[in-house]
Amino acid sequence: MTSVQSKLYADDVSLVVVLLDANPFFWATSSISFSQFLSHVLAFLNSILLLNQLNQVVIIATGHNSCDCIYDSSSPPQTHSSENGALPALYAHLLQRLEEYSEGFPIRATPSTAPSEYVAIMNAIFSAQRSMVPIDSCYVGAHNSAFLQQASHITGGVYVKPQHTDGLFQYLVTVFATDLHSRSFLQLPRPAGVDFRASSVFGQAQGDASSAADRKRKAPET
Amino acid sequence: MPQVRIIAKSFMDMVASLPASKLDKLYQNVFICEAILRSLPPLAKKYVLQLLYVDDAPITAKTLEEWVLADGSSKHKVAIDRLIQLRIFTETVDRKKEVTYKLNSTFQSNLQKHLKNGGVLPREAMPANVTARLPSLDELGQYALEQWERFLLHLISPSQTDARTSFSSSMMRVFQRGLLTQRDKEDPTLTEGGFQFLLMDTNAQLWYIIREYISNSEERGIDPADLISFLLELSFHVTGEAYNMNTLSDIQGIMIKDLADLGLVKLQQGRKESWFIPTKLATNLSVSLSDSSFRKQGFVVVETNFRMYAYSTSKVHCAILRFFAKVEYQLPNLIVGAITKESLYDAFKKGITADQIISFLQQNAHPRVAEKIPSVPENVTDQIRLWEADLNRVEMIPSHFYDEFPSRDVFEAACDYAREWSGLLWEDSKRMRLVVKAEIHMNMREFLRGQK
Repeated sequence: MTSVQSKLYADDVSLVVVLLDANPFFWATSSISFSQFLSHVLAFLNSILLLNQLNQVVIIATGHNSCDCIYDSSSPPQTHSSENGALPALYAHLLQRLEEYSEGFPIRATPSTAPSEYVAIMNAIFSAQRSMVPIDSCYVGAHNSAFLQQASHITGGVYVKPQHTDGLFQYLVTVFATDLHSRSFLQLPRPAGVDFRASSVFGQAQGDASSAADRKRKAPET
Repeated sequence: MPQVRIIAKSFMDMVASLPASKLDKLYQNVFICEAILRSLPPLAKKYVLQLLYVDDAPITAKTLEEWVLADGSSKHKVAIDRLIQLRIFTETVDRKKEVTYKLNSTFQSNLQKHLKNGGVLPREAMPANVTARLPSLDELGQYALEQWERFLLHLISPSQTDARTSFSSSMMRVFQRGLLTQRDKEDPTLTEGGFQFLLMDTNAQLWYIIREYISNSEERGIDPADLISFLLELSFHVTGEAYNMNTLSDIQGIMIKDLADLGLVKLQQGRKESWFIPTKLATNLSVSLSDSSFRKQGFVVVETNFRMYAYSTSKVHCAILRFFAKVEYQLPNLIVGAITKESLYDAFKKGITADQIISFLQQNAHPRVAEKIPSVPENVTDQIRLWEADLNRVEMIPSHFYDEFPSRDVFEAACDYAREWSGLLWEDSKRMRLVVKAEIHMNMREFLRGQK
């Protein structure tokens, strides 16, 4: 499969869609705690919003077998409620939604292995490829995720597996905060051997659902 | 938009030209750091972000270059130059001639705070129970435009009495500098720059005025740095929200009245408190440097028979149209006129170009005709250009006139010689006279001497 060339973008405005893995099965075994992870991600999201006033951020939390949109920077700002005090809108709103979301978690021990889901995921990746939306992946698990590697590869995104999770913010900012326009001028991590084995999807599907933050980036329609 | 010479400098260039101590002072304000970061070229923004948490050691120029692909080297240079110019990077060259950069520490810590805490507004909006009914966004936009038009009208025709703003006459004279010329006892007339100014879009006009306002501030005893920081801060407020006046410093309190005259804010008075409401003009201030998202709706329809219908109640529009068209009659919401040869000649004489007129007509085309391509009929635009070209029919060439040739042979030889040098402009063989270009005059003289 040939990877798409990234489109020529004239400006540095981005719409960043973050898929945040909030699956408790993964975070229970992870080397970095979810709250630590979240603080890196929040700083990263702030830096996206800082870079350009037209930038937008959408966060989708993905769980074990569900997902929900929990934050959209373009929706009108929530009024500060007194209990949140001076806590900035992004945090308060996001944390609240994240809590609501995780309360609704159906905690089940038996993961579903329906092949139909695989088809849906691949469809999503192919349509991202077709509409030239790069999928970047940042993977904090123990082994490389062949699945995400492939997804990033065919959509022209970047796949990173940070060596030091305590410096996660620096990885996020260095690689993923790069707008598509600047990507054509900067040295970014290149795939060092993508695992193309088709079997990997089925063989590792459950273990590799532990992606930390996949991120789609899209130039605004305007 | 016609390329306008008088607006060449951008706001950030102005910031960059401030002395070092003033710049360092500016960076103590979080909002300025934010606005400045956003104004940087994309690569420069990336560098700042990547170095934000690299604390101690300065980074070498070599390391920085390694981040960039070969294609991007020119952009890299532009980015670095800008960062140094704005004193965000300080450059040091050590004994081994190795160049290193260090991030401005105030700038750095402010942005770090921003990343940790997220964007915070400069001041809290007032609760709705104190302020009664606030104007809607549409009303506010309308207010801003009206205020701005009144200011423009005052600017271009100071004699009109219904166009009063609270700007002092000395302040108005500062704005008029370069736009109007005043001869003794005559009404002031617009200069070429003035016409160009009127044909610009609102944002560009606003920037010109703000620039004059800032550059003149020292004479009024106001520190330009204070002014710049307040204007940038203002752009981070939310359009349409009310902010209490008592949160402003004394200087800011004076400035806000001027800004209200320009339509940047609306001032309102409650029973006990007073507040200001930023309009779109203010919140777009830091954005408007690059793009003009604040577009006015067009109003002009031009027909193939050179008649022009302008759906506008604005006196400024009428004044602008009069510059190049013959206004025939004016209804409450409609100006009807014709583009004639005479009216255009008047315009050309005043220094307006055909391209400026055409781009004005195109940019202000009524929505009904704006969808059409071309929005202004081709025969009209062509004719406007042709009439302009008519005026440029005469070409001046410095030349020399020769007569009283001793014989026809000498005359013809001279003509041939001039033709050889392709310098013959005119000859009259009957009376033996010719005109040649000035540049071959010396050669011609040599040649004629040889002929004797």
